[in-house]
Amino acid sequence: MTSLFSSTFIPSNPLHKTLTLTKPPKPHQKPPPIGPIHSVLQYNRKPQLSGDTPRVVVITSGKGGVGKTTTTANVGLSLARLGFSVVAIDADVGLRNLDLLLGLENRVNYTVVEVLNGDCRLDQALVRDKRWSNFELLCISKPRSKLPLGFGGKALVWLVDALKDRPEGSPDFILIDCPAGIDAGFITAITPANEAVLVTTPDITALRDADRVTGLLECDGIRDIKMIVNRVRTDLIRGEDMMSVLDVQEMLGLALLGVIPEDSEVIRSTNRGFPLVLNKPPTLAGLAFEQAAWRLVEQDSMKAVMVEEEPKKKGFFSFFGG
Amino acid sequence: MASSSLQLHPISISIPHRVSTNAFGLKPQSGFNKRYQIWKRKNKYPDFFIEASASSSTSGEDKPIMDEVTLASLKSNGIAVLQRQISKLQQTIVSSPPVVFLVKNSPGSTYMLGFCIATTALIIAVRVYLARKSRHKRPGSVADLVRRGQLNSGRGISKTVMYDDPFNNPQVKISKNNSTVEMCGKVYKLAPVTLTQEEQNIHQKRRSRAYQWKRPTIFLKEGDPIPADVDPDTVRWIPANHPFATTINDITEDLAQKNVYQKHGVPFRIQAEHEALQKKLEALQSDQKLNNMVIDPGTARNFERPFKSNNKLDDQQQVEQKSANGQTGSRPESQPNSNGKSASEEKQTL
Repeated sequence: MTSLFSSTFIPSNPLHKTLTLTKPPKPHQKPPPIGPIHSVLQYNRKPQLSGDTPRVVVITSGKGGVGKTTTTANVGLSLARLGFSVVAIDADVGLRNLDLLLGLENRVNYTVVEVLNGDCRLDQALVRDKRWSNFELLCISKPRSKLPLGFGGKALVWLVDALKDRPEGSPDFILIDCPAGIDAGFITAITPANEAVLVTTPDITALRDADRVTGLLECDGIRDIKMIVNRVRTDLIRGEDMMSVLDVQEMLGLALLGVIPEDSEVIRSTNRGFPLVLNKPPTLAGLAFEQAAWRLVEQDSMKAVMVEEEPKKKGFFSFFGG
Repeated sequence: MASSSLQLHPISISIPHRVSTNAFGLKPQSGFNKRYQIWKRKNKYPDFFIEASASSSTSGEDKPIMDEVTLASLKSNGIAVLQRQISKLQQTIVSSPPVVFLVKNSPGSTYMLGFCIATTALIIAVRVYLARKSRHKRPGSVADLVRRGQLNSGRGISKTVMYDDPFNNPQVKISKNNSTVEMCGKVYKLAPVTLTQEEQNIHQKRRSRAYQWKRPTIFLKEGDPIPADVDPDTVRWIPANHPFATTINDITEDLAQKNVYQKHGVPFRIQAEHEALQKKLEALQSDQKLNNMVIDPGTARNFERPFKSNNKLDDQQQVEQKSANGQTGSRPESQPNSNGKSASEEKQTL
């Protein structure tokens, strides 16, 4: 199979500087004094929507399996629970799985391909979640159908415009779940987006791909790019077996939207078709997704990160489970 | 000879001393051992003393008298010694470890000890029971795969609880100085983010130098020629066997855009199909009506005009011709059938 991006993506400057393992040179500056940490977490008010609606956000990563679809599902439902209307678009033409994570796979009858062919209207292809009625899902295509490539980006632009003008009002957020890679699917997905959320894990392979994707997004005109670091393990970070979140940020140079710890509940929630932000009591990862959604609404970024877990003080009754 | 009155010393006098030194009675036990050893040693000596006294008294003529006296004295001595030994033994028995005295004298401590052991056992049992119960409540999320039809199995269905209130979260607690946060029962240290705007700009510049990319606008498959006025950097080649991408445009753009923007009514393709079906149905129905219309030759004649008027006209024409030609008796040959028919019709009508 010939390379799909043979000549297009090779940088013209042969002396290009891509992401290497060494950190970029920093300007000579005194380290800023560590003052009090403000705006760490806010739970006592509804976030104020910032920016023009609809906010079209593409969730991408480059490397597959880092948690894009999980992030889309959980952040989307968090936004819906905060009272905002959300439309999530699964832009993966060949491998569709956002519907599985949301538990809506049996309700997807029509896709964007049917809308383009005139088999149904756009509102008939939108699947409304019964748990949160202000959350809707739209799939690009069924797994066996093919989408004309010259069409994909334009089709998404038309879709966003049609959603803006629909009778029930424009949605507040349109989240686009981008497929892995930097192929035609990626190009299609980023076409209508105004901002991007880059999902990565603290390992070097994901970081290199994330850096490349960030470069392509900036070339395409998307400047508002924030990062979510997924599958973080504080125990490995403490043992210096894993890069810390601050190291990741220093390598990529992107503002932090969220830090999601490794959680086995993610697998259970996928099997249930029930995103883990809806669990009661919430898990650590669920809380982290909520916080990320909160910051997305206000176009804010993290000012502090959770570094390590302090050892729990054991009392006399710890034997009894105290 | 000492009297063999065995009197037990009152316990209240002897015990306090023992309790104050060691409540569990280790010293009195060692003291007891010492006394036992002394007693044992002394047990050896009475025989010696008896033998010595016996041997010293075994001399000469006074032997029989001496024997009786010595025997009596020996007997009395032996009894005294025995009595002393018994009294000492009784004393050692009486001076037993204070635990025994404690147990004897304070029954409440027994209950306390028993209560502590029972409480511990109860708490452990409750913990084990709760752990087992929580395990049974969540049999695993594979059951949900079965519920959704992704797996075939005869397992049960597990339920999840909705989390309704993101604004009042008791799982999150921030310390007063904002240096630690407690989430889901775990305490984390917080460290400030150190990325500055200048560093972000440096990274952006680095990426813009490294990744110079243009969005592809033309998609071609293998074998297609590149148009002359197109930037080669904007061309994307798609292989023919790509699983989900194609360059073939079966749909016209304008039509597709109209379909996307349609808000009401039946979608175009459905309507077109419906209209086509409708026309086909009408055509079929009209064909069926035509086929149902059959012509009966018997009744068809009733609708035909009678030939009389025609014969009269013919006769008139003939009379005119005759009159014109001056001929009487000849009939034109061009109308043999009609004349025949007319004759038969005349016959029929008459």
